[in-house]
Amino acid sequence: MNGEIILPYLIIVPLFGAFSMPIVSLAGRKAREAWAVLVSGITFIVGSAIFYAVYENGPILYTLGAKNPFGQGAGFPIRIVWEVDLLSALMVLMVTFVAFLAVLYSIGYMRHDTGLDKYYTLVIILELGMLGIAITGDLFNFYVFLEIMSIASYALVAFRNDTWEGIEAGIKYMFVGSVASSFVLLGIALLYGQYGTLTMGYLAIKLAQNPTVVAKVALAFFIAGLLFKSGASPVHMWLADAHPAAPSSISAMLSGLVIKIGGVYALARILFSIYGASVSMKTVGWIIIIFACITLIIGNAMAVIQEDMKRLLAYSSVGQIGYILLGLGIGLAGYGTKAGEIAIAGAVYHTFNHALMKALLFLIAGAVIHELGTRNLNELSGLAKTMPKTTFAFLIGAAAIIGMPPLNGFASKWLIYESSATFNQVLATIAIIGTAFCTAAYVRVLYTFFGRPSEKVMKAKDPEASMLWPVVILALAIIIMGLFPWQISDKIMIPVARTLENQLGYVATLMGGA
Amino acid sequence: MKRTIAYLSLLFIVGALLYIANPNYGLKFGPGGEDWLKYRYTDNYYIEHGVEEVGGTNIVTDIVFDYRGYDTIGEATVLFTAIAGAIALLRPWRGDGK
Repeated sequence: MNGEIILPYLIIVPLFGAFSMPIVSLAGRKAREAWAVLVSGITFIVGSAIFYAVYENGPILYTLGAKNPFGQGAGFPIRIVWEVDLLSALMVLMVTFVAFLAVLYSIGYMRHDTGLDKYYTLVIILELGMLGIAITGDLFNFYVFLEIMSIASYALVAFRNDTWEGIEAGIKYMFVGSVASSFVLLGIALLYGQYGTLTMGYLAIKLAQNPTVVAKVALAFFIAGLLFKSGASPVHMWLADAHPAAPSSISAMLSGLVIKIGGVYALARILFSIYGASVSMKTVGWIIIIFACITLIIGNAMAVIQEDMKRLLAYSSVGQIGYILLGLGIGLAGYGTKAGEIAIAGAVYHTFNHALMKALLFLIAGAVIHELGTRNLNELSGLAKTMPKTTFAFLIGAAAIIGMPPLNGFASKWLIYESSATFNQVLATIAIIGTAFCTAAYVRVLYTFFGRPSEKVMKAKDPEASMLWPVVILALAIIIMGLFPWQISDKIMIPVARTLENQLGYVATLMGGA
Repeated sequence: MKRTIAYLSLLFIVGALLYIANPNYGLKFGPGGEDWLKYRYTDNYYIEHGVEEVGGTNIVTDIVFDYRGYDTIGEATVLFTAIAGAIALLRPWRGDGK
């Protein structure tokens, strides 16, 4: 299969789906839901095909509007390029999979809401924005798609405009997110002013030839803006409000995908592929590690004391972002060592795993809220009796996120522990403390679920098929991935870590591009 | 306390930006002569080849709709999203319309 031929459809399909949604929705509710499921389903198929193509044949370079990115006799790229290496392809697979399940879940979950034509339009645009970020090889284009993703998620967080918390969280998220985006734009402007190109691969060459103080200031702006977007402490507070207030299908996409694509993936891409050779990776790595440690402890510790189920999950997301950033930071600080490579593999693996687990947990929280109308954990005691399938799926998700051996979270956390233990003992200790808090938080929820049934819980039942199936599929994915942890790690995650570390390969793909 | 830190960091950011605005070691303003080809080689290419490659005499529209047309699709999508979002948030509350 030729990756270059199918790659454009990754953008064309959701773009067409979103822009045609207002017309399709004239045909009524059924048509609109079918259209949304169809569009996201086709995108998922295209995404899987691209992952397969990149896995088999290596990275794809695609130039928009010409056969190659260079003009007549110019040695530098003048057009926008897409550069899909194994990391991008993995992110594409993750986004299309979780987004498809979230759309499927919305059919049942959003039944009682109004304005659903806008809702499906925005969900597909959110997916489009994330895909655009994952495949792009151009810095300004990255910003455009970051904005598409951000604006769609501001609107979706506040989608339930008759609840006070939706509007409050939406406003908070929008103000913070806009400042973060403008930081990123400022960084891009500085780099363009100094180096005169916007293509990531070519910028890497220019940076390596002439590292300047402007580039360092721009890097500081990038790190600041993207840490905001990924919800790292001490700038995680918007996340703890936004994720509980959004509809659960959206929380699943926000927590599972948006903070990783817009935050962690972008950070990894900029740090490794653009700045790789031209800044001190040790310094940058330690900066990331410090933020990661704060995030780890604060996120997981705050999760323990929450009464609200979705807020607990949101803080847990902050904590898990801490692990991912820790892996990334060690990968930078220990660049070129075995520990560094394992740390990046662990970070990427955990990104993928956490997308599945947190999407599963948020979808379950949505099902519980849908049945019972409350998110207060104290009122949910004894849920196992009346919603057994849902509770069982929650058990799987919670065990996976803690890192129980037969499930997928174990392998990814193990890689991060192992690398941090070989890199620096203190970091390993902090990671273990974070996991202890995380375990406490989830055991507390499970304890409530398996307790004596309260009166409120008695009339609950398992959700309908369209809400149950995405949950079942995610739980199955977690179990199946848990059966082959080291195979996945060796076959996919370690090669991904190698491609990310290999900055020369990234540049060579661009410059030697057909 | 928090506010003081915030203002101090703002001051630091402004200071850093002013520092790199010095043409001796930072950004060059209005690069001309040799600097033009060193810092604005991409722009130079667009100006030299834009007319023959794209066919429009307006370089800005040549860039925005041809060389970097994909960004323009993105910007159109941003507008579309903003409108969809605004309409979605300004719709009547559930149960209000009846």
